[in-house]
Amino acid sequence: MLNLFHIYKRQKKYILFLLAACVLGAAFTPQPTIFAGIGLGAVFGLYNFWILQRRMLKFDRAFDQGKKRVSLGTGLRFASGIAAVAIALSLPEYFHLISTVIGLMIPYVLLVIEQLVFAIRKQNEDAKER
Amino acid sequence: MVGSVGLLAAAIAIGLGALGAGIGNGLIVSKTVEGIARQPEARGALQTVMFIGVALVEALPIIAAVIAFIVLNR
Repeated sequence: MLNLFHIYKRQKKYILFLLAACVLGAAFTPQPTIFAGIGLGAVFGLYNFWILQRRMLKFDRAFDQGKKRVSLGTGLRFASGIAAVAIALSLPEYFHLISTVIGLMIPYVLLVIEQLVFAIRKQNEDAKER
Repeated sequence: MVGSVGLLAAAIAIGLGALGAGIGNGLIVSKTVEGIARQPEARGALQTVMFIGVALVEALPIIAAVIAFIVLNR
């Protein structure tokens, strides 16, 4: 199974590639607001992932120390999603709103795809070994 | 400016979203802690599954919160 750090590292790599594509799209296509919106959403989505990874490590430490109450940072992630949309709403000439929401969900879609690919590869390797 | 129905819609969206996230996260965390207590050697794998589970559970409530915010500001 993939490690928590590996998942986050890969997500970061994919999002950086996506951001590069968004910069190119915003600079050279007739719909710069759409690409800017996707980029903005993806940045906040990656921030959400970073918070989640940090909180998971905190949870692990708290579990070791036997603490009873640990926060997973759900409110912070809600707030960062709302912040992305607030930026898109206040600057509609630069960021497309729906694209921002789509961009916010891109890390989650990438996570599902990555896990599916990993599971299929593992299944194939196991089948070859037999 | 939104009317009272818009406010109600935003409140229901964010409330039900938060309810779902709370129940989902609670179940995931409780089962993970149970699993780690039973099998401490499987801690890394359980932690990874918990990470993925929490991320996926929270995707929809974030969308709900975002939609509530959009409804409030339209």
